[in-house]
Amino acid sequence: MDLSATPTRSKSKPRSTPSKTIAASAAAQMDLSTPSKPTTRRKSKSVSSPPSIAPATPSTVRRSRRLLETPTRRLLETPTKDLVETPAKPAPAPTLKRKRAAPSPKTPIQAEPKRQRRLPKKKAHYRKVVYDGGEFAAGDDVYVKRREGAESDEEEPEEEECRVCFHAGGEVMVECDACLGGFHLRCVRPPLRRVPEGDWACPYCEAERAGRAIERPKQPVGKSIRRTAKEKLLSSDLWAARIESLWREPDGTFWAKVRWYTIPEETAAGRQPHNLRRELYRTNDLADIEMETILRHCYVMSPKEFRDASNEGDDVFYCEYEYDVHWHNFKRLADIDDEPETQEDPSDEPYNAGNDYNSDTDEDSEFEEEDGPAKRCSARKNQSHQFAANSRKGRIYGLQKIGIRKIPEHVRCHQKTDLEKAKATLLLATLPKSLPCRDKEMEEISTFVKDAICNDQCLGRCLYIHGVPGTGKTMSVLAVMRRLRSELDSGALRPYCFIEINGLKLASPENIYKVIYEQLSGHRVGWKKALHYLTEHFSDGTKIGKQTSQPIILLIDELDLLLTRNQSVLYNVLDWPTKPNSNLVVIGIANTMDLPEKLLPRISSRMGIQRLCFGPYNYRQLQEIITSRLKGIDAFEDQAIEFASRKVAAMSGDARRALEICRRAAEFADYRIKQFQQSGQAPSSANRGNGVVCMGDVEDAIQEVFQAPHIQVMKNCPKFGKIILAAMVHELYRSGLGEVLFDKLAATVLSWCHVNRELLPGYDTLLKICCKLGESKIVLCEEGTKHKFQKVQLNYPSDDVTFALKESPDLPWLSKYL
Amino acid sequence: MAAAAAAPVASQAQAVLRKRLCDPAFVHSPLKSSPDTNYSKLKYLVASSVSEACNNSVLLLGPRGCGKGAVLDMVLEDLKKEHPDAISVIRLNGMLHSDDNCAMKDIARQLCLQHELSFSKMASSDDNTEFMIDMLRECGLAHKTVIFILEEFDLFAQGKQRLLYSLLDAMQSLTSQAVVIGMSCRLDADQLLEKRVRSRFSHRKLLFIPSSLDDIQSFRVVSYMDKESGLLSIDCFTNALSCMQRQPKMDSLQDLSILELYVLVCMNRLEDKEQNSYNFNTIMKEYKSIQDAYKTSDKYATTVCFRAFEHLLDRELITFADTKGRNIALEYRPVKLLISSRELAESLKLNTTCPTVLQKLLDRERYM
Repeated sequence: MDLSATPTRSKSKPRSTPSKTIAASAAAQMDLSTPSKPTTRRKSKSVSSPPSIAPATPSTVRRSRRLLETPTRRLLETPTKDLVETPAKPAPAPTLKRKRAAPSPKTPIQAEPKRQRRLPKKKAHYRKVVYDGGEFAAGDDVYVKRREGAESDEEEPEEEECRVCFHAGGEVMVECDACLGGFHLRCVRPPLRRVPEGDWACPYCEAERAGRAIERPKQPVGKSIRRTAKEKLLSSDLWAARIESLWREPDGTFWAKVRWYTIPEETAAGRQPHNLRRELYRTNDLADIEMETILRHCYVMSPKEFRDASNEGDDVFYCEYEYDVHWHNFKRLADIDDEPETQEDPSDEPYNAGNDYNSDTDEDSEFEEEDGPAKRCSARKNQSHQFAANSRKGRIYGLQKIGIRKIPEHVRCHQKTDLEKAKATLLLATLPKSLPCRDKEMEEISTFVKDAICNDQCLGRCLYIHGVPGTGKTMSVLAVMRRLRSELDSGALRPYCFIEINGLKLASPENIYKVIYEQLSGHRVGWKKALHYLTEHFSDGTKIGKQTSQPIILLIDELDLLLTRNQSVLYNVLDWPTKPNSNLVVIGIANTMDLPEKLLPRISSRMGIQRLCFGPYNYRQLQEIITSRLKGIDAFEDQAIEFASRKVAAMSGDARRALEICRRAAEFADYRIKQFQQSGQAPSSANRGNGVVCMGDVEDAIQEVFQAPHIQVMKNCPKFGKIILAAMVHELYRSGLGEVLFDKLAATVLSWCHVNRELLPGYDTLLKICCKLGESKIVLCEEGTKHKFQKVQLNYPSDDVTFALKESPDLPWLSKYL
Repeated sequence: MAAAAAAPVASQAQAVLRKRLCDPAFVHSPLKSSPDTNYSKLKYLVASSVSEACNNSVLLLGPRGCGKGAVLDMVLEDLKKEHPDAISVIRLNGMLHSDDNCAMKDIARQLCLQHELSFSKMASSDDNTEFMIDMLRECGLAHKTVIFILEEFDLFAQGKQRLLYSLLDAMQSLTSQAVVIGMSCRLDADQLLEKRVRSRFSHRKLLFIPSSLDDIQSFRVVSYMDKESGLLSIDCFTNALSCMQRQPKMDSLQDLSILELYVLVCMNRLEDKEQNSYNFNTIMKEYKSIQDAYKTSDKYATTVCFRAFEHLLDRELITFADTKGRNIALEYRPVKLLISSRELAESLKLNTTCPTVLQKLLDRERYM
């Protein structure tokens, strides 16, 4: 066992000096390049480099002595009841674990001292461990001691002291948002009656901000100021980390793989003006530490949780960004809400956990040997010659480079107005909290899938979902699958695996075999081979991958795109479920209602009769969808929403369109208000303005969506262009034919010009103008080389032309021909 | 003395004028101030995507040469100044990236280039799609905006529209910051989209109306500037105008020889006689009859006439009536006039060397 593998605490914390960071990371033998976000496809595999029996180095000796001193403490360590993983099994990927750990109800911890005694030979992984009287689970945030024995637990004050009277407790205290000092309500001058709403700064900070010098109260002599863990952390005397996994070594010591948090001061960019006091960054730096060094819980929250947390105590921190310790850049953390969307990530599925572990570590060990940042860059470049960023699916190299050096200020110090909030929530990409109006359909899908999963036979099943675009087909299925996943996590369902494929995103229909096979097995083969394997898998029972008996749910979006000439792809895909032990369920989504009827009879018979129709939304439903999204945001007039939804329901019933119209209307209103602010004048007109989206905005948005801009272009045509258009309408009425020869058209134009004393254009000029009109497709015309035999046709109704040209200021005589 | 001194000043002024006229930023700079221009609307749209982290798609419509690209470039330049290294621009052109796979590859290439990643030419289209989606997600997390500019948007709307679908579907399913800007001179560009693509498109449209003054035209005027006085006189403008409004057919009619004019007049007479299908031999017959009737001095042998006939074909003043029968000898293939009788009459009038009998021939049968 090499010494460096022992995760000595003092080494593995990322410090601001880069060289040390590298040494530390090298020492910790971690998977450096693994991005830390759970949503990315590669994730940290629990590196099994068990520092089994540490050699007698000073630090470890000391630790082991400490271990001896406190042998009784660890008697409480117990694996919890819901631990299904056997010690022999490698730990599942941390993301999975965390996800599962979160919703699972807290099971009572049973003391199992027996288990403690018969030490297992191998590492045992746990999801929850009781240690030192605290219960630690994977996914928890903890304080970690920085130095051994520097400040022991006893010094830790339970409560913060008041900065004025230097006594703790007693009364309600209020925290200054600037210096984070605590104050008794009565100690503040002037005394406060209750905790103030919103941001509050103590008189001292306020004075400093105003530029006045003011002396802070000195602490009484002989009494050292006692700092809370929070303060120690923020002055970098403590560390915070998130537990990724927990295990017990064969020698009985408990270890945890942790992901460090870092304070803004320790990043390369330093503390930026917009950093909050309680802000931490999550790093992509992982280390194995002994449970010994863990102090107690703290709570690192996402911005949303932080906002909602009102009185959670002192150990609450804010974390919005991830900090890459190698590239020194920042990246926003993906919202938890996003996670379900990225579930199609193959690495999220348990069966191929540990796929890409090898290559990653190789890459990184090589990388760690370098020491200067410049050198590191070059090393990285050399590597990426071998691994082009776009080369291998599911393994994308160099993405960690994308990040910002400094978090731009505009994204942080931005108090969102109601309109901006409305715009954000109306985005198509924001996942709504609830999906109204599709309860019946979702119920049906859910029963279908559950039936299929729970039935042991899992006989051939197929569901065809159809409906016009924007009626929530894919969204409903995905929502059902999310719900089922949470049921699966809570153990109410058999495990299954879910594959999502979009027909329009495949390069060719045959590629579907490749994709399915890759998702099942994690390997890539050509489509013919994949087809062969899959057929074997589904019909003969020679299974691919580890999860052999799991039912497979295959969602094919845009099913109609899989049609080939002999329809073999669809036939194969729909034939598998009919095989006796295929365990396959196919859900197909397409727009056309009669797709099964268009198919060959042998395919449509395999498709079964189960169909589900998503009808277009009516205006009430659209209204409900919009209002449910805008709940709590006062940005829209009620009639405006109703107007938009009625309009859309009358045209298409497309929810996307309704949302987009509302967003566009909000944009119009926002634009208007911002322009007013810029010009410095108050919104003058009463009906347009006062900060909400009104009817006028919605009308503008609808105009933009539904009205072609041709009338405006016609109005702004050059003079002869207008005459040509008018002449075309004239010819149309005279001959009754759509098409007119250019020769005739030119003759008409010239005679009109002659009569009305306009400048006579040449044939060539007319032809040029005609071709220009043809380019913007106001008229349809053949190419110009045909000259006088060119056929010309109006592309828009003649009434539009008449309307556009009726009152043209430069050609008053034109209206008499229309 | 004065003139000699004025000349360098004048050429300087010319240079300055030329520079200003060529620079789109200067031409469109008055747009920046007003809130109702496309410039400020577009800037608002793109800037809101940068600062509020949202996805957008917008179409810029308008005839050619009305400043779609110039305004967009100005907007991007301004925003890049405001938000350094937060914006990466991917440019695609419908003419160059005709099929979806190669467009996807180019997106991956440009993304790699801008983020200093290495790019593999061998990657399959699926890989590139996946890479793009991953990049979009990562860039979104890093507050970086990716702007896709699709020039000749209408050409992307052919076939299965896989590229547009992938792009717009990513817009609606990822929390990234991306803007898809389509530019097209077809006003009905959004109607070309398939319905599932159209449903994902946000239908923002900015219409560009051609400005009344033509930049190139004024550029011409500047080049005609009188070096002596340093002023732009009215002559310069008329000269420039005639340069701009070339009438190619009329010009080529002016240059024709008498014999060629005879051929054209004969063809015109034949057409007036409602003879729809005729060839060189028919024309020669007509020519002979004219020569017999009027006894002009312009009587040429058939071979000479045939040379003139071929010349007319080359100048595209006449053409074959149909594309069939390529292997028939030239003199037997049916032909037709490409110019109108009015143009012919006009050019005869302008042509000083033209014998009066020709004009008479043309006039007579018209007013008979």
